[in-house]
Amino acid sequence: MQAPRLLISPSPHIHTHRTVRSTMTHVIIALVPAFICSLWYFGLPALALVAVCIAACAATEWAVDRWLLGRPATTGDLTAVVTGLLLALNLPSSLPWWTAAIGSVFAIGVAKMAFGGLGCNIFNPAIAGRVFLLISFPALMTTWPLPGEAFSADAATGATLLGRLKLGEAVDPALTTADLWLGNMGGSLGETGALAIIAGLVYLLAVRVISWHIPVAIVATVALFDALIGTHVGIDLLSGGLLLGAVFMATDYVTSPMTRRGMLLYGCMIGLVTVVIRRWGAYPEGMSFAILLGNAVTPLIDRYIRPHRFAAEARKEVAA
Amino acid sequence: MPIVALDLPRRAVLPLSQHIGAPATPCVAVGERVVRGQMVAKAAGFVSAPVHTPISGTVREIAPVAMPSGYPVTAITVETDDTMHEADTAARLAQIEADMQPADRTLSETLTAEQIRRRIADSGIVGLGGATFPSTVKLSTRPDAAIDTLVINACECEPYLTCDDALMRACAPRIAEGIELMLKAAGVPRAVIGIEDNKPEAIAALRAALSDGWPIDICVLRTKYPQGGEKQLVEAVTGRRIPAGALPAAVGTIVNNVATAFAVYAAVDAGRPLIERVITVTGDTSVRGNYLVAIGTPIGDIVPAITDGCKVVLGGPMMGRTAVTLDTPVTKGTSGLLVLEGRPRLPEQPCIRCTACVNVCPMGLEPYLLANLARRRMWPEAERHTVTDCIECGSCSYICPSSRPLLDYIRLAKSTVMADIRARNAKK
Repeated sequence: MQAPRLLISPSPHIHTHRTVRSTMTHVIIALVPAFICSLWYFGLPALALVAVCIAACAATEWAVDRWLLGRPATTGDLTAVVTGLLLALNLPSSLPWWTAAIGSVFAIGVAKMAFGGLGCNIFNPAIAGRVFLLISFPALMTTWPLPGEAFSADAATGATLLGRLKLGEAVDPALTTADLWLGNMGGSLGETGALAIIAGLVYLLAVRVISWHIPVAIVATVALFDALIGTHVGIDLLSGGLLLGAVFMATDYVTSPMTRRGMLLYGCMIGLVTVVIRRWGAYPEGMSFAILLGNAVTPLIDRYIRPHRFAAEARKEVAA
Repeated sequence: MPIVALDLPRRAVLPLSQHIGAPATPCVAVGERVVRGQMVAKAAGFVSAPVHTPISGTVREIAPVAMPSGYPVTAITVETDDTMHEADTAARLAQIEADMQPADRTLSETLTAEQIRRRIADSGIVGLGGATFPSTVKLSTRPDAAIDTLVINACECEPYLTCDDALMRACAPRIAEGIELMLKAAGVPRAVIGIEDNKPEAIAALRAALSDGWPIDICVLRTKYPQGGEKQLVEAVTGRRIPAGALPAAVGTIVNNVATAFAVYAAVDAGRPLIERVITVTGDTSVRGNYLVAIGTPIGDIVPAITDGCKVVLGGPMMGRTAVTLDTPVTKGTSGLLVLEGRPRLPEQPCIRCTACVNVCPMGLEPYLLANLARRRMWPEAERHTVTDCIECGSCSYICPSSRPLLDYIRLAKSTVMADIRARNAKK
């Protein structure tokens, strides 16, 4: 009998079931509540924006892979889909579809693929896309349809809560605490429903896609800093992009630190910068810029904050 | 799951190097008749171990065989005949019967430490957890080393393996006897058995065996991999951390496996050298279970119906090595046989910096970084990031969602850096 030809390889011989694709699927599932929330408040335009952004992001990645880099398309890992979804959830529902498409092409084409594709980008692509649009189309990007009125022909628009605070206007007395939690106010598609975002956070923690360190560091820092300088903590936390950013954007693997302690520092930094921009900066909203700054210092954080080596204290004794 | 005694093989292949240290020197010639338990190769120095035959028969050849390491190793092949096979099997049954009996504690009082160490050395006992370090060397402690604790590894070195668990459930009193003999041999006052909490029956069996007046404690540990790693185990049991590059003795401990303790009993009490061991057979095979197997049994005798493209792993799924041929024998360090069908590696994707490898590394290393340094051949940087600390547990490659072969890169960096260090030290 012919001896069987055995497969040989170095160890380990088993592998976890988790892949990049399954991880991204978890993120998409975690975004479903926020997505449903956006449909509820902003209607069909929200659905259209999400569809345009996802399609444009995936198409850009596919085109760059196949035509510019001449390699198999990487769209199957679903990272471009997540970028598109996140970008859409960070846009006002009244934004024209072509503007959203431009933002998507920038997010994937420039912020991600130009840096070398998955894993090589310095800045979070979705945020880079949003900030690119904010700078290029400031008026379109700061026009906020109010919830429930998106279906009417000439939808009412208004400043966001943070916008009003920035202008020194009083908070609308009709706005209740329940509205804040449920997201019944003007804002980007996915950022208004605090409870929906928290549901996503709970899911991501439960399936261990992210750890608590970054979101908790950001929220705790903002709350503490706000309390210190006397800003309305509840409004700062529950309106604007803070929660969406803290849970889904700042936690982006590629652009955040590699150690738990590094994550805490990174989160504190983002929280501080956000409050500083919101309180003293030119924009009512500071989360995007804060996260980009956090992304920029991530390599530095990883260089100086390293994991504790096993028996590190003994190593020092040997060296001394 | 009880231990099944696998039939003694008709042909035993006995490599001369089944341990760390100098290969043994053959002390039989081709054509010579040998009997079960006879020494066929003697230790070649202090850090070495003799080899014994598990079957009576005739020495057929002394020639190289392909070992899972990829290197050929000279082996002595012994073949038996029907008469001798029956006699050996009968003798073995009586031995198994004796192994299940209560402990005999008189030997640790009547024998001197030197006598016990001599018997351990002559019986070819090495660490059976997989590292295969000659046991006498470990037990020959220097008086100035101030060893106060013998740590017994009862954690199964790897997932899937249950051989230590099965042995403890079947022969806890004899394991206790072996541990007490080891304490005497090493001149150490006390032992602690570190055992994971997923083995309640084994814990109960040990507790029952150790009910009165033993200098042996049981320390129940959380089940996780690599809990059975030497450094991880000593830290979990004693709270002491072994520094990089140091042995357990640096923190006043010696570490031995439960299966080694049982082998010590067999050698000192039953007068039986290390010719058999318990292994776990698992994976995509119909013969899953724990078996008492003669060392030297070709793995093809144990796992039937292996087809093209199968992987047969000697050891566990995380650190085991793959067999090149089914003629490869079970050796002293083989704790398991794992059959894997059609599970090739997934294609490598870019690192997404998910931090899983950093969080999982038991040594606090940064596997993603070390792998990148290795890819770029940046050896001094890899050395600075303490690549030599890696214990090659495989956790990083296992957990990587991008299925990057992190450990392959790290092994490359580790061996290159260690060669550099040796070259530098040689120059001094």
